[in-house]
Amino acid sequence: MSLKKFSELFSDLDSINSTNNKIEVLKNYFLSNDPIDNSWAIYLLTGKSNKRFISGRYLKNLFSQIYEYPQWLIDTCYLKVGDSAEVITLLLKNKTYSRKKKLSNISLNELLSETIPALSKLNEEEKNLEIKNLWETLPEDNHLIFNKILTGTFRVGVSIGLITKSISKLINIEEEIISHRLMGDFKPSIDSYAFLINKNINLKELNSKPFPFLLANTIEDKIFKNSINNFQFEWKYDGIRMQLIKRSGNVSLWTRGQELVNESFPELVEKMSYIKDDFVLDGELLVWNFKEQIAFDFSLLQKRINRKSPTRSIQIKYPIIFIAYDLLEINGRDIREIKLENRRIELEKYFSKWQTKTQNNISDIFKICDLIFPKDWPDALTYKEKSRENNTEGLIIKKKTSIYSSGRKKGIWWKYKVDPMQLDAVLIYAKGGSGRRAGLYTDYSFALWKDKELIKFASAYSGLTNIEIKELDKWIRKNTIEKFGPVRSLKPEMVFEISFEKIQISKRHKSGIAVRFPRITKWRKDKKINDADSLENAYELMKKIS
Amino acid sequence: MRTKQDDLIRYKDGSLYCGLADVWIDPSKPVKKALITHAHFDHFTFGCEEYISTKETAILLKERVGDNIKIKTFEYGEEFKINGINISFHPSGHILGSSQIRFIFAEEKWLISGDFKLQNDQTCKKYETVKTDYLISECTFGLPIFKWDETNKIANDISKWITNSPEKTSLLFCYSLGKAQRLLNEISQTNFKGNIYSHGSIHKMNNSYRKLGIDIKDTIKIENKKKIDELKGSLILLPPSLSKGSYLKNFKNIQTAFASGWMSIRALRKRSGYDKGFAISDHADWDGILEVVKKSEAKNVFFHHGDIEALSKYLVEKESINVLLFGK
Repeated sequence: MSLKKFSELFSDLDSINSTNNKIEVLKNYFLSNDPIDNSWAIYLLTGKSNKRFISGRYLKNLFSQIYEYPQWLIDTCYLKVGDSAEVITLLLKNKTYSRKKKLSNISLNELLSETIPALSKLNEEEKNLEIKNLWETLPEDNHLIFNKILTGTFRVGVSIGLITKSISKLINIEEEIISHRLMGDFKPSIDSYAFLINKNINLKELNSKPFPFLLANTIEDKIFKNSINNFQFEWKYDGIRMQLIKRSGNVSLWTRGQELVNESFPELVEKMSYIKDDFVLDGELLVWNFKEQIAFDFSLLQKRINRKSPTRSIQIKYPIIFIAYDLLEINGRDIREIKLENRRIELEKYFSKWQTKTQNNISDIFKICDLIFPKDWPDALTYKEKSRENNTEGLIIKKKTSIYSSGRKKGIWWKYKVDPMQLDAVLIYAKGGSGRRAGLYTDYSFALWKDKELIKFASAYSGLTNIEIKELDKWIRKNTIEKFGPVRSLKPEMVFEISFEKIQISKRHKSGIAVRFPRITKWRKDKKINDADSLENAYELMKKIS
Repeated sequence: MRTKQDDLIRYKDGSLYCGLADVWIDPSKPVKKALITHAHFDHFTFGCEEYISTKETAILLKERVGDNIKIKTFEYGEEFKINGINISFHPSGHILGSSQIRFIFAEEKWLISGDFKLQNDQTCKKYETVKTDYLISECTFGLPIFKWDETNKIANDISKWITNSPEKTSLLFCYSLGKAQRLLNEISQTNFKGNIYSHGSIHKMNNSYRKLGIDIKDTIKIENKKKIDELKGSLILLPPSLSKGSYLKNFKNIQTAFASGWMSIRALRKRSGYDKGFAISDHADWDGILEVVKKSEAKNVFFHHGDIEALSKYLVEKESINVLLFGK
């Protein structure tokens, strides 16, 4: 019924490691709460609620101001805790204010649909007063959830899959149906929850919703023992994976992140609506270089993703294309259960029909993916190595006899990615981590040589094991030259192998280059800083590729 | 930085040292004369010629390391002299036998807080306020994010944690001396009425507490070959050193928790690898430290073991208390 119950659920989920127990706890929660609170709980737990009402910094300043707490003391505490919402929760515990009548039974719905949204309508002074008032009236156990929702940082170790499983168990309906119902923009309401737990499956209401995406696994050695003829080969594009749906004449574009993005790509929606058939296509959206017939860099696509209703000039400057891999449904017939090789035949058949029969030209925005035909596995490897030339990330290998199931199913699709580029770089700065890594130095900056100077070229957070992180943390504390707030400059001594996907010129960086997805792949304890790479090496790498 | 050689107490080779008395407090290396505040191993080292402590600390130490140490004991509040310095032990509320140590020389009073807490603990003497000119205090939890819940609330949380999973064996990790006995005492007053087992190291300390007149609930000493079924729904107390490694393979269908003040922080809880954390500590929280500093009426305060910088700055800025830093 209440925020209190949800706080308990959060604390339970936070302290249970077993998946089965989590499902059980969720199931019981759904059984014992109002539909409206359940719909909000699902909304929060599936991470659809990252709206930030106020920033963590604002929250800390406000606390400092109200309770006359020195800002530096709050900042010191933050370094230990790594989460603004939690710091303030812990500090509130230590605050002896005269407790007013407690709002012990505020419901999740009331908090999320009335109390918090109402804050946005207030002026700053009123808003601050209202937050103070809520802090002092909400029971202590609810402070963490409240602060996290305020700052848009509510997260808990529960995946959408887990929510799907627990609802599936609750009403005894297959997970696929639930995951279908959970896709897209879930608006918390009694109706949306009722729809979610409806035991009758109505195909019509599911009309605009995509199928669960099938994902590729990392390549396994055992695949090379099979005949190459068992597989279909495609380029692995670096764009936005998408399902393009046209049912009853309506077009919907769904990303794998379950976002409906029609508004960002109106030219695609318009062109596709000219096609006479209904269909569901699985494919990739890219910004396309029509002259060379290859994809542009992902960074250009980023200029389109978050822009709704792009102007005509933006549409021309960043021309998009949808490349279809697969046909999942045609004129109301779900064909996911037929073999990939046969779906491909259908896809090619319909595509050529659409090209010739559609009155408007569609091929300037829509094509099907070209297949690659390596003669043997070494040949496949050669293709993979060439993938950088056409701006792809490698190959996708699909079993010809596979059906289109959902999730990261094993033994159906594989990604065979081109090896990353690597440079050996020197660790020069470290910054305290946040969240789970609070209190440890886990954010690192690396430098390359330029003459006799070390120039920063990349920051990386991932790649070290927990044991290595602890060891490095200890070293960092002992080898700090200077502290600037949470950042420490370090004695140049440690060399790391940094891997990344792309390298390009960047005027924004002192080094003049920017790399994509940098990560630590090896702690080169065997190397001295003089063995590290220079910026010149990086420029050479860039030349080799372009 | 405070490096005054003529201070009655100062830091030398990483430990507190009283030069005039030539006596060390909880030294980390073997010395001639060592005053011991309490029987935790990080406050004790082998090989000193002579140890001086409270009666309870002496007995606990001997239980842990054997009779082969020379140890002189005094009652709480009893004054004794070394080289003309008046010295006395006073309860610090940390664990059974734990003490603050006061030194008086030429009208100047120095107080070493030892490890201390103000919270209620029925297994040891309550912290006693001692007035002093100079205070040397620990500040393990010297940040305002640390605010302990009432002990019985934590005990009830533990009880609920066990009874909510009746099909599981609940392993609660805690320090074998002090924390374990305090938890046993508290848990026996909750609704949890199932079996409680304890690891040998804890079992031994329980017996020592009983010998010293502290009423501790009887527990069963855990043996490796216990039947899994028998353990279902019961509580097992284990020292933290066993939480990693093969020992846990002796049990099936377990849930684990760690009882420590650090568990109040979510990131630390998550990183600890335990399923659950109970924030209960035998050290003072932020308010506790501030209270002790104020009530001691000390004009000069030193801190060690913890976030010294933040606490010092706060006291200087907000409370106008003179905080000094030790020279190394």
